[in-house]
Amino acid sequence: MRPRLSFEWLHACSGCEIALLNSGELLLDLLDRVEIVHFPLLMDHKYTSRAGGEGEVHLPEAEIGLVSGGVASEEHQAVLRAMRASCRTLVSLGTCATHGGIPALRNQWPIAAALKTVFAGSEGGTAIPDTILAPLDRVYSIDEQVAVDVSLPGCPPRSESIIEMIAALLAGEPFHLPCKSVCETCPTIRTGKGQQKVRRFLANAEYDPEKTVAEMRCLLEQGLLCMGPVTAGGCGGKDAPLCIRARVPCRGCFGPVRQGGNQLLDMLNALASNGMGHRDIVDRRSLLRFSGAHGLLKPLRERK
Amino acid sequence: MNPQPKIIAFCCNWCSYAAADLAGISRLQYPGSIRIIRVMCSGMVHPEMVLHALNRGADGVMIIGCPLGECHYIKGNEMALARSEVIADTLEDQGFESERFQVAWVSSAEPERLAEIFREMSGRLAALRGAPQVETIAGD
Repeated sequence: MRPRLSFEWLHACSGCEIALLNSGELLLDLLDRVEIVHFPLLMDHKYTSRAGGEGEVHLPEAEIGLVSGGVASEEHQAVLRAMRASCRTLVSLGTCATHGGIPALRNQWPIAAALKTVFAGSEGGTAIPDTILAPLDRVYSIDEQVAVDVSLPGCPPRSESIIEMIAALLAGEPFHLPCKSVCETCPTIRTGKGQQKVRRFLANAEYDPEKTVAEMRCLLEQGLLCMGPVTAGGCGGKDAPLCIRARVPCRGCFGPVRQGGNQLLDMLNALASNGMGHRDIVDRRSLLRFSGAHGLLKPLRERK
Repeated sequence: MNPQPKIIAFCCNWCSYAAADLAGISRLQYPGSIRIIRVMCSGMVHPEMVLHALNRGADGVMIIGCPLGECHYIKGNEMALARSEVIADTLEDQGFESERFQVAWVSSAEPERLAEIFREMSGRLAALRGAPQVETIAGD
């Protein structure tokens, strides 16, 4: 029997699922090697079985379980626990699952304020529907809720990386990211002398489109806010990081280099230590745009 | 709860730690809840070390280096100054009052001043009352 694959989504946008489906011929090879037993994007599936009681979630057993998206409601929590119980190896796939991702930007406000803003009614009232699922106090990453065996961040992860990760699991080999920063995997030219000011990415970087990325000047040295120094590398596989390939500064989607790191603090520190103006950044809290879980983004305390 | 606020003070080896040494020899009085951590240079204190101390229950953190312009490593305390701006700016984002952090410059011949800023910091934190919320960062 082929190993079974289960792919659940929680507080997610389906981008990670699309990334897997977008892997071309690699996907056909994968379909020969695994049996997909649960994949809400592709096939309809009931979450409760006759054996289970009222409201109890039951999912089919699988050798490999992939989960994309963070945990934002009690329903997500129940589904995630069912995934953990039914899967031998649980993988958090994509930045939402590993670090909270974009949905965790909500953690900047208390849940009541967030709901009030989203479901604003007429005449200043609110129109929060009765059917809304019980939201948690904030958006959690998967590893804050259950034990996770393998993590692959990315928004979304590169198709080839997802396939590589599944192939490694099928072969019983460990799968790790290189534990390097984006800068360490970036081929651009660094001279050590750059702009003292950081500017917003309103105008393109300076480069010659005829030449390769390796002949382009480092984007941070050009004064663009590139989060390469504080972001885990590996997004481009063995080649240049994906955003840099598109001549765009790194947005930080792989999360902090070190587990438990804080991209906001690290980035400002990196700028300050090198004499760059860290106060030029208009909205510094958005540096945690991809890693707001783990309690890093929190509502500002009210001063008495 | 401990009546005295717990303070972590990063002191540089060349000036402020020597001042603390001299304060001890001179039997100057300052609150006993201050924990001095000797570092070679105030410029080596990463903002994450400060945040880590606060997350783990310290009431306040101080970075104390040589007077500006007199750094043993020429420019180390200027880096400490730049880094301390980052800390001061982001402390509120991380859910802590900005008063919980202070940077100061003390030469090795100023033990009275060191004792004075220790007392001031301790008093300020006592006024804030209550320790910061203790939250552990995953992965530590």
